[in-house]
Amino acid sequence: MTSHQADAPFCLIAEITYRCPLQCPYCSNPLQLNRFRNELDTGTWKRILSEASEIGIVQVHFTGGEPLLRTDVGELIAHAKKSGLYSHLITAGVNTSKEQLESLRHSGLDAIQISIQDTVPDENDRLAGCPSFSKKKLAVTNAKETGLPVTLNIVLHRHNLDRIEEMIQLAQDWQVDRLELAHTQYLGWAFHNRNSLIPSRTQVEHAQQVVDHLRETDSSGLQILHVLPDYYQSWPKPCLQGWGRIFMTVTPDGVLLPCQASRDIPELSFPRVSNSSLHEAWFNSSVFRKFRGTDWMPEPCRTCDRRHIDYGGCRCQAFLLTGDVHQTDPVCTFAPEHEQIQHLIQEADQANHEFQYRRFQD
Amino acid sequence: MTSNAPSLNHPQLSPHARYRWDSIRRQHQLVFPEGLLILNETGTAILKLCDGRPLDQLLQELQEQFHNSVREQEVITFLRTLVTKGLVNDIAPS
Repeated sequence: MTSHQADAPFCLIAEITYRCPLQCPYCSNPLQLNRFRNELDTGTWKRILSEASEIGIVQVHFTGGEPLLRTDVGELIAHAKKSGLYSHLITAGVNTSKEQLESLRHSGLDAIQISIQDTVPDENDRLAGCPSFSKKKLAVTNAKETGLPVTLNIVLHRHNLDRIEEMIQLAQDWQVDRLELAHTQYLGWAFHNRNSLIPSRTQVEHAQQVVDHLRETDSSGLQILHVLPDYYQSWPKPCLQGWGRIFMTVTPDGVLLPCQASRDIPELSFPRVSNSSLHEAWFNSSVFRKFRGTDWMPEPCRTCDRRHIDYGGCRCQAFLLTGDVHQTDPVCTFAPEHEQIQHLIQEADQANHEFQYRRFQD
Repeated sequence: MTSNAPSLNHPQLSPHARYRWDSIRRQHQLVFPEGLLILNETGTAILKLCDGRPLDQLLQELQEQFHNSVREQEVITFLRTLVTKGLVNDIAPS
């Protein structure tokens, strides 16, 4: 596939701030948070949303950091609505009120995702790095009462995976519409903290059995999305459903990325909203074209039957584990560096369990 | 969901699913968090009738719109798929 054949993107990930009251050790934000304190102003974000709609984007995820820390989030949601976009807010739910959620719904918010870190309040607060469980519970209640569809999100790892049954029970008790149980992706802060996060194979298999069983017996209508840990799979995840194919990310300081984690790859340079339209970045910039389609692929991907299924896996993971962004994702059984994954799992198994919290460091 | 098909007495579109006309791609879409379905004309008509009315009324209205050319079993299969995906709920399950 060459660039002029690229299809329009569907999804904008609007990282409107990296500020966040939580300090989760598996955050997908970059490690060097301090570099990104300068945030785009309201007018620029509105222009981005308009352009997004014009090039064919259907859905915008307002995320961060904590998007509710920006006082203009309602104004941005209203602008997304006016532009015909489906808007989804991804929040920690610790600094909001029923009035605010009502106001956001009135502005045109279509759905909200609220995270918890664990079902045990003290563990939730320990992982988040601050007291937050009761506030999150209240946010879910308030969101439901305002009529917003709620997805409860829980990131899975060694410390909470054994409570998967309790997670599903809690989602049923809180009467959320969807439950997203997503294994940690080992990028950004999570890669830094991998030795304290990677679960054991026994834990992973047990959790999968529990989810499969409860899905079959559930009568509440709860939708459960279970994102499996790629380190324990034979094939890589179809990262982003293909580079430059569906998703476009805009960072708080206005950089246009094919993937939220791709900024950490030193050999790539990215367009900025100050010098490129979204259209220009998507269709013509070298970085969005670089891994689009299959022409860029090395062997064994190039001749593999699965190349249109997993798109060679995750570019950021290939870079982190092999030092070469062009390599096949080492998760793949056929990848030359596949044994690296086994190393990481073993290393984590023997490591101490301390993790470093996500922080802005001076 | 394999052992017993979901009930479909009064199908209603889920609150997180939104119908949308995509003027760039010239297609009907059903959008929901992190996904979308592309709909044909019949699918669009079915979803517009998923407002909580009884299934037999929905089918009757659909037959009127499409001059009795709709295969009802296909409509029911389509609706069951949407229930399984959480995009349609039965608001009065048996």
